[in-house]
Amino acid sequence: MKFYLRRIGFYAVTLWAAISLNFFIPRLLPGDPFTIIMAKLQRAGDISPQVENTIRLMLGAAEDKSIWEQYADYWANLFQGNLGVSVTQFPTPVTELIGDALPWTLGLVGTATVISFVLGIGLGALAGWKRGSWVDGLIPSTTMLQSLPYFWVALIFIFVFSVTLRWFPIIGGYDVFGFNGPEWTWAFVGSVIYHAFLPALTIVISSVGGWLLGMRNMMVSTLSEDYITTAEAKGLRPRRVFTTYAARNAAMPSLAGFGVSLGFVVAGSLVMEQVFTYPGIGKLMITAVRNNDYALMQGTFLVITLAVLAALFLMDVIYGFIDPRTRHHG
Amino acid sequence: MAAAALTSVTLLAAGCSGGDDNGDTGTGETGAPAAEGAATDRELVIWAGSQTPITANFNPYAVGVLHLANGGIYETLFNYNKVKDVDPTPMLAESSEWNADGTELTVKLRAGVTWNDGEAFTADDVVYSFTNETAKPSYLADAKAADDTTVVFSFDEPAFANEFAILGSTYIVPQHVFSTHEEDTGESAEGGEIKGLIAWANAESPVGTGPYLLDTTSNAAYTAKANPDYWGGAPKVASLRYVGIDANQSAEDLLTTGQIDWTTMFVPDPERITASGAYGYVNTPVDPTVLYTCANADLGCEGAQTDVAVRQALNLAIDRGTINEKAFVGLAKEISPTFALLGRDDKWIADGMPAESPQTADAAAAAKVLEDAGYTKDADGFYGKDGKPVELTLTSVDGWSDYNNAAKLIEEQARAAGLKVTASTISWNEFADARVSGDFELIMGGVVGTSIADPFQIYREWFTGDYTQKVGTALEPGEWNFSRYANDEVDAAVATASQTNDEAVKKEAYATVQKHIVEDLPYIPLVVNASQTFFNSTNYTGWPTEDDMYMFPPSWQGPSSGLILSKVGGTE
Repeated sequence: MKFYLRRIGFYAVTLWAAISLNFFIPRLLPGDPFTIIMAKLQRAGDISPQVENTIRLMLGAAEDKSIWEQYADYWANLFQGNLGVSVTQFPTPVTELIGDALPWTLGLVGTATVISFVLGIGLGALAGWKRGSWVDGLIPSTTMLQSLPYFWVALIFIFVFSVTLRWFPIIGGYDVFGFNGPEWTWAFVGSVIYHAFLPALTIVISSVGGWLLGMRNMMVSTLSEDYITTAEAKGLRPRRVFTTYAARNAAMPSLAGFGVSLGFVVAGSLVMEQVFTYPGIGKLMITAVRNNDYALMQGTFLVITLAVLAALFLMDVIYGFIDPRTRHHG
Repeated sequence: MAAAALTSVTLLAAGCSGGDDNGDTGTGETGAPAAEGAATDRELVIWAGSQTPITANFNPYAVGVLHLANGGIYETLFNYNKVKDVDPTPMLAESSEWNADGTELTVKLRAGVTWNDGEAFTADDVVYSFTNETAKPSYLADAKAADDTTVVFSFDEPAFANEFAILGSTYIVPQHVFSTHEEDTGESAEGGEIKGLIAWANAESPVGTGPYLLDTTSNAAYTAKANPDYWGGAPKVASLRYVGIDANQSAEDLLTTGQIDWTTMFVPDPERITASGAYGYVNTPVDPTVLYTCANADLGCEGAQTDVAVRQALNLAIDRGTINEKAFVGLAKEISPTFALLGRDDKWIADGMPAESPQTADAAAAAKVLEDAGYTKDADGFYGKDGKPVELTLTSVDGWSDYNNAAKLIEEQARAAGLKVTASTISWNEFADARVSGDFELIMGGVVGTSIADPFQIYREWFTGDYTQKVGTALEPGEWNFSRYANDEVDAAVATASQTNDEAVKKEAYATVQKHIVEDLPYIPLVVNASQTFFNSTNYTGWPTEDDMYMFPPSWQGPSSGLILSKVGGTE
């Protein structure tokens, strides 16, 4: 029990620190939202005198509160579930923006991460089990794919499959030329799956190599353990040795890594969302940082922090169950 | 004051028009836009630069107003053509006239226009659009409806210079709708309260006079349908779709696969898209690219560039031809050091002024300028003065590859002439911050090209002491003099020019301005940036083309894009 209390205390302190950093770090960025908006508008030609006026009025609305008063307000708002209003997407509340983006991110990046993990672990276990077989031959190629910059892989895929062959769409989470917005029809669901295929494929391709390599190497070292030899000596069927004795133990470190990557799923995939114009949290984060949109930055960082901490906590708890050693000081 | 002050520009507007030649659908005798081609149900897909997620905001006073609102839904009194020296196209007004001393502007409105909710458009709406708390310009003393179709604007001082702001860039909004939202409240980013029209998103059936009606919105795209009762005749294209695209590459891919019909974006190799013949293409450079220099030591600028000799030498050391060829893939246009747009504003370039900035580098001339000013070369071949070497940092926004490449070229060219310039990149936020605060040496940046055939706005907003602040104090919105340049003679000449509509007087004043800015170079001119518009010419007709550039073509530009939308039709 003491172990869990200690962990909970630790997470509470981490959460407080992370949320405070969410507040202070955005304010250390150079520039203020309105000069950035002006610069952006200027890039797109004339600014109408009324919009100039608006910017002035909005600047005036920024009250001169001390940073500590703002910090107190920030906490007060947080407890009311109010994350503020985005400047770049005025007047949409940040909670709504995140609410709209989160399902897309979880759906696509989440599924892709799980597929990538399962595929990587499965193939990795096989590759370690049958060293020198064709599965082992996958390792150099998948590792190479992972080392290529993601955006480059994605651009090549778009060029080949979407532009040249025209098998897949170029942009969007659904057919933005045909649907006027999300709707509950089979046609729409089909469109979503069709549009998710290529982005998911690129994510899997560029991340499977890591899982594969890690699992394969763990498998190889696990196979040299004494208990494997014992199991084989006992005359157990190879299949049983493979699953219950070798793969199960070899997967432990990968599982910890998987927990963390699940947490980071919520952060979305910045580059993927940009390249495919796919809706998601990553894009909100980029927009927020580029425009010094404090409220939006705080909101997205908060969601990501919470997700990562929750994933870590979950892994901690699970590990405590699976592996009693972690519950005690070595 | 000269007697010839009765303005010719807008008087002519009433008589001169291209619209009524088009026959069938032209309404009225005063150059209303007339749609071309046949009616079509094919949805016109537009990318105007929006990125996802799109937030529905059709309030023309809002910072995040969507492109359809500017011109498609809300219209101005006139539409000015940014690329040609022609009279503006009358929209909600039919004609306008200044009094002799420029303190009164009388505007005759178009009769028979209705808002898309069925209410009649009246002179009171125009008055409201200029006098409501959010929109009222500081220079306007009063606006009054003389009768149902006449509005009289009055000013305390001659206001010729604000003609474009009043007639060409103020959107006319319905009083009966907007006045009910003056008490709307919202929350600002800092948690403060925002009150008034700016807090209103106007996202549900916005009421305007324009050719299109908002249909649906989502965070990926929004659609519009033709306004059947449009005063210029119902548009021929039944529906529009504005999409959000996050990467330029995606937009280019959508163009190559024929999924976008109208967009304005940088494409290094336009041939790739036009080769199939499905797309028309025009390049209309209007916005200058320059090096901002923090030029004025009196206002707190620091660095070697505060010495005019260094700026002159740098100006001579730059090989603009190579920069255009290599960094701007040959699509940019020559710039005039007078900031008059070549081809459009030629008449304003004073006698004796160089028409364009030198296109090749002249290291010898640069060396002479520096040596005359007392600079000497050190052992490494770089100039310095009093033992202090000239070292300048030239920044450009990271990721703007054309600017980054140009900066690198300038670094090489300047070094070849003995000036130690170092190119580096900064984030967008740092760029925005540095230029308004004045904390920089050299920045590669843009100047907003004027919307009318007259460089006045650049002279006033970018070169006068009234439009700047001390280094360390942020410029106010509307102030663009990042260089902190201040010259009493320039300020006086600009003031003179703003008081008159007499071309001869203005030319004389501009000659003074040009003499100083060409000499002092607070902004070192580089090129006039390309603006490339692609349009589907297979399924649609009526686009502005090289032969008939009736309007500035970009899909993101309001209110001109509204006029183009009202003119485009199907090919069959």
